[in-house]
Amino acid sequence: MRAGYGAHTVLHALSLRLAPGTVGCLLGPSGCGKTTALRAIAGFEPIGAGRILGDDMVLTDAGHIVPPEKRGIGMVFQDLALMPHLDVASNVAFGLHRQPRAERDARVAELLELVGLAGSAKAYPHQLSGGQQQRVALARALAPKPRLILLDEPFSSLDVELRERLSQDVRAILLHEKTTALLVTHSQFEAFAMADVIGVMRSGHLHQWDTAYNLYHRPADRFVADFVGEGRLLPGTRRADGAVEMELGVLRAHAEIPPPGPVEVLLRPDDVVHDDSSAVQATVTARAFRGAEFLYSLRLDSGREVLSLVPSHHDHAIGCRIGIRLDVEHLIAFAI
Amino acid sequence: MGHLAAAIVVLAVGLSLYYASRQIDYEWRWERVPHYLVETGGTEIPAPFDGTVKFAPDGQSLTLTPLLGGGEPVTVAGFDRIEVSDGDIVFAGNTLGREHGWSAGPLAIGLWMTLKISLASLVFALILGLVVGLGRVSRRVVSRDLAALYVEVIRGTPLLVQIFIFYFFIGTVLSLSAFAAGVAALSVFTAAYIAEIVRGGIEAVPRGQTEAARSLGMSAFQAMRHVVLPQALRSTSPALAGQFINLIKDSSLVSIMALTDLTKAGREVVSSTFSPFEVWFCVALLYLALTGTLSFAVRRLERRLDRHD
Repeated sequence: MRAGYGAHTVLHALSLRLAPGTVGCLLGPSGCGKTTALRAIAGFEPIGAGRILGDDMVLTDAGHIVPPEKRGIGMVFQDLALMPHLDVASNVAFGLHRQPRAERDARVAELLELVGLAGSAKAYPHQLSGGQQQRVALARALAPKPRLILLDEPFSSLDVELRERLSQDVRAILLHEKTTALLVTHSQFEAFAMADVIGVMRSGHLHQWDTAYNLYHRPADRFVADFVGEGRLLPGTRRADGAVEMELGVLRAHAEIPPPGPVEVLLRPDDVVHDDSSAVQATVTARAFRGAEFLYSLRLDSGREVLSLVPSHHDHAIGCRIGIRLDVEHLIAFAI
Repeated sequence: MGHLAAAIVVLAVGLSLYYASRQIDYEWRWERVPHYLVETGGTEIPAPFDGTVKFAPDGQSLTLTPLLGGGEPVTVAGFDRIEVSDGDIVFAGNTLGREHGWSAGPLAIGLWMTLKISLASLVFALILGLVVGLGRVSRRVVSRDLAALYVEVIRGTPLLVQIFIFYFFIGTVLSLSAFAAGVAALSVFTAAYIAEIVRGGIEAVPRGQTEAARSLGMSAFQAMRHVVLPQALRSTSPALAGQFINLIKDSSLVSIMALTDLTKAGREVVSSTFSPFEVWFCVALLYLALTGTLSFAVRRLERRLDRHD
């Protein structure tokens, strides 16, 4: 599926392709256009330029939109939009209104079983908890076996603990139904937990469309590097021999990095290792206990800041000076 | 405690009204009012033509022989009291006797007319109001403009003036009966308000509901009919009930046409009894009974619907 969009330039030349059976995700801060993209794919918004294809059929182009009900695309809405006047079974059966009764009932029972709500068929949406309503919304969207299911910030109304559990459940349900899905979220956690491919977006631009591993370890640009995961950018100089010189030492480059000249190097918290024998020292400015580890914010002598993940038995107070060294597996550097 | 205080206030107002009415020279004749509600005097049986009365031997029927030898004698039977004597000469329309039993008095007939005109107007106002309300939220500019114009014109002119226009102008042009003109005026007037209620109800249903229905395979029309309207009508039912109560009260204005509704009947009864206070109190109570029953029914209906959510 390809989408180009340019009307109010909410989205600039967005282009992505989602293979059948995979779960994709558009990740970005609010207002980045990810919901607009989703609504365009669902057929609720026109596009200014480009095309949206589903199984090589044109669904939307600049002058024409296949209406939402004829696209075969299901959607789970941010506010769920369950029908308050219908019970759970009728909500799930909603997209099956053209099928014979027996088939419809069987499909509803199957889905309620799948989402773990077999006992609540006769309940009304307001009698269910937030997580249960979420499951009903998912079951309802899945019922007509859409070719693609869109999920718009599906867990935004739930508390953090529930999100974690439900996002794994939802992924399992999507895989069980062999559905292609596209998710929109501002939460990296949800994106990583559910998606095979993730697109990082900002102000209408798609910065990178890649796997979670590549977003983290091979970010395409500074924004992706900063947005995905934690880390700090430190200035350095790329030498002609390929190594990068920085205040914390010289790094050998494995991957393709910018041409010689000034660069910025991304240091993840696990790239900075605590080592008492190291000559390089930094001052602890903040620390966050994370069970197995402390996440220390460290101020270098130059005044710049790095993050370091240190096993939690190394308990250093704020203001302490500790020794650090770099242990970088993937060097990520951007030309300035 | 609060109920008691309210009861005391009502009682005090009632007593002061009673005291005030003692101050003026007015003779209360409550006993006259029931006759105008229900007629217990029985129905008169009139003579069909001029003739001579002749009783049957058992006294249960009489034979009327036409005067001047024109036509066959006619036997009249089935009355409970005879008001003529054997051998009397009566003229056409004279009362031969009375049949016992109850019949509706003018106030009851007026009440029935009010009920009929309100119900008929209600049905048409609902249909028209729904159409105009849908027009207000339509995607087509033409529909939106026309619906907005309709609502503005109708809400911006007095109902009494509209009734005159419907009765004297539109009623004459289309040769409508007074009843039809009255129903038309009331429907058109009430529909403007219902349209606004419907519009508000539709707009209060989140857009996600329509989109959810459409992504599940429903057309825009089906989504409106099966998803949006049921929710909109439920949330607006108190406002609609209020509008129906207004409609019943507004129907009193049709009494300016040649329609004997409850208000017109009240006026007629007042002019024949010279007991305006009793009659108007009675008329007010009858309206209150109608609107009270309606409120009660709507509240019951709402509670039944609410049991689902």
